[in-house]
Amino acid sequence: MTSPSLETRDLTIRFGGHVAVNSVSCAFHPGELTVIVGPNGAGKTTYFNLISGQLPATSGSVIKDGVDITGLSPSARAHHGVGRAFQLTNLFPQLTVLENIRLAVQARSRAGWSMFRPVAHFRDLTQKAEHYLEATRLSKLAHQTAATLPHGDQRKLEVALLMAMEPDVYMFDEPTAGMSLDHAPDVLDLIAQIKADRSKTVLLVEHKMDVVRALADRIIVLHNGELLADGDPAEVMSSRIVRDVYLGTATEETA
Amino acid sequence: MSNPMTQTPANTGTMMVKGVVALIAALLLFAPFLFQDTRSLEVAARICIFIVLVASFDLLIGYTGIVSFAHTMFFGFGAYGAAILLKQMGPGWTPVILGALAGVGVSLVFAVVIGLLSLRVKAIFFAMITLAAASVVLVLASQLSHITGGEDGIIYKSPDLFKTATKLAVDEDGKVLRLWGVRLNGKLAAYYFVFATSLILFLAMLRFVGSPFGTVLKAIRENEARAEAIGYRVVAYRTAVFCLSAAIASLAGTVYAVWLKYTGPDTALSFSIMIDILLMVVIGGMGTMWGAVIGAVLMILAQYYLRDLMGAAAEATANIPILPQLLAPDRWLFWLGIIFILLVYFFPKGIAGTAMERGAAKGGGA
Repeated sequence: MTSPSLETRDLTIRFGGHVAVNSVSCAFHPGELTVIVGPNGAGKTTYFNLISGQLPATSGSVIKDGVDITGLSPSARAHHGVGRAFQLTNLFPQLTVLENIRLAVQARSRAGWSMFRPVAHFRDLTQKAEHYLEATRLSKLAHQTAATLPHGDQRKLEVALLMAMEPDVYMFDEPTAGMSLDHAPDVLDLIAQIKADRSKTVLLVEHKMDVVRALADRIIVLHNGELLADGDPAEVMSSRIVRDVYLGTATEETA
Repeated sequence: MSNPMTQTPANTGTMMVKGVVALIAALLLFAPFLFQDTRSLEVAARICIFIVLVASFDLLIGYTGIVSFAHTMFFGFGAYGAAILLKQMGPGWTPVILGALAGVGVSLVFAVVIGLLSLRVKAIFFAMITLAAASVVLVLASQLSHITGGEDGIIYKSPDLFKTATKLAVDEDGKVLRLWGVRLNGKLAAYYFVFATSLILFLAMLRFVGSPFGTVLKAIRENEARAEAIGYRVVAYRTAVFCLSAAIASLAGTVYAVWLKYTGPDTALSFSIMIDILLMVVIGGMGTMWGAVIGAVLMILAQYYLRDLMGAAAEATANIPILPQLLAPDRWLFWLGIIFILLVYFFPKGIAGTAMERGAAKGGGA
């Protein structure tokens, strides 16, 4: 098997007496889409925050392609190829859709420190941003400010921002949350495309079981901050312990 | 190859604002010839310098969302740098250039220290720290009177080129040449020095905000956490823009010191200047650059001419009861306050900001 793209070793965070993520060790490989499931409060989003750097780990480490990135800032981790989309829409509200995406393209190209050349002269950045606009079918909305978009399009833009970062590791936190049934397939198609690339590592937090079944190569289950199960989707879904702690309650919640 | 779908649509509001700014630029360019009296020229020079000062503050508050109360401190560093050296070394260009460099140097040191120590903390703490630093510097300036002249400030001579007696061109009798009735003397040279440096600094700032760097500043204002998450080191960018804005404010201070030939706490350091800057940027419109121009012009014109205007109005209405009392020149601050409240009420995003937004809604759409 290929060497892991991303690895967490005994990753732990404590908030006072509460251990939100407890010694989670897990390796993620290129070409693999891992779905992370678990009841609300299981620590899924916190686990993401530890990997992408929004929260500092109490102990343990995050390894990206053999490099320890545990102590780095979120921006430095982004430059190491760890990209993240957020559960709650997290855009640049007063900027246009095109500007939002161009910012992500520009961050990767490290052109942000260019202080004197007008943005319009950076044709390559705009073209790349336009490419991602088309890929996410947002071209028609290019000049609308992000704040004025309907929820479904904001979710798409959230995904477009992550794609425009062109990371090695894509982390999606409930990308279809709150989306109508007409819009959700668009976002899932985009994730399927990234998966089809086979060179990217994808982590996906998702509740909807049909989505999990359609996309997952592997499922890990978090419960009370601990890694409860890890393996082949069919195997994990049918295991007794998972049914007890997760599926029993979750199907009621997401119905 | 450019996609026509993603071309920026024309915006009537923006066009109007730019037109007004172009008109102001033309008036300032020909000010010595259009308004031939000393007071008008004072007002024009003050407008030029405050446009730069307010625009550099807009880089912080409007573009990046940083609230600082130390902007006059940086302005003062530049002014006192030139003033102290002009006093010690006598008139000449060397003290002006050294003073400018010293002002920028001290400003950068302060900006880096304040920035690195406190830009990580919450906005309110950062604002408090800048307020504290500015207060300390103001106290120092009034206490260290052997260097700064204390409360009285420093009076000095500007370089010879800017002396009123200097003749830029002479006629056959050896008298100073006049062009459209204006003496081509050192005062004129001084005004154009102020105008040219202000124009260069303002154009430089326009380049900054239109560059990729400018887009990162806006991203930080809009959503700091996401800007960090997509790969921008927010602390580094915030410190950089704080330094940049401090350096420009300091240069504006040096130019003002050369123009006024006097530097004291009231002209270069006081908190009333800070409040003026805040009002100008709010009235003009934050995060637009053009707003700095419109805000500075309106506010300074009001400060200089509202009294006169009210005096005239009071005389004109002398026969009507109550009105003359209301319009008495002594009540100019009262009316200034009312004008501000009305402006903020009807132009919540400032004059430029509101006009550009309404223009976009009408003309551009999506």
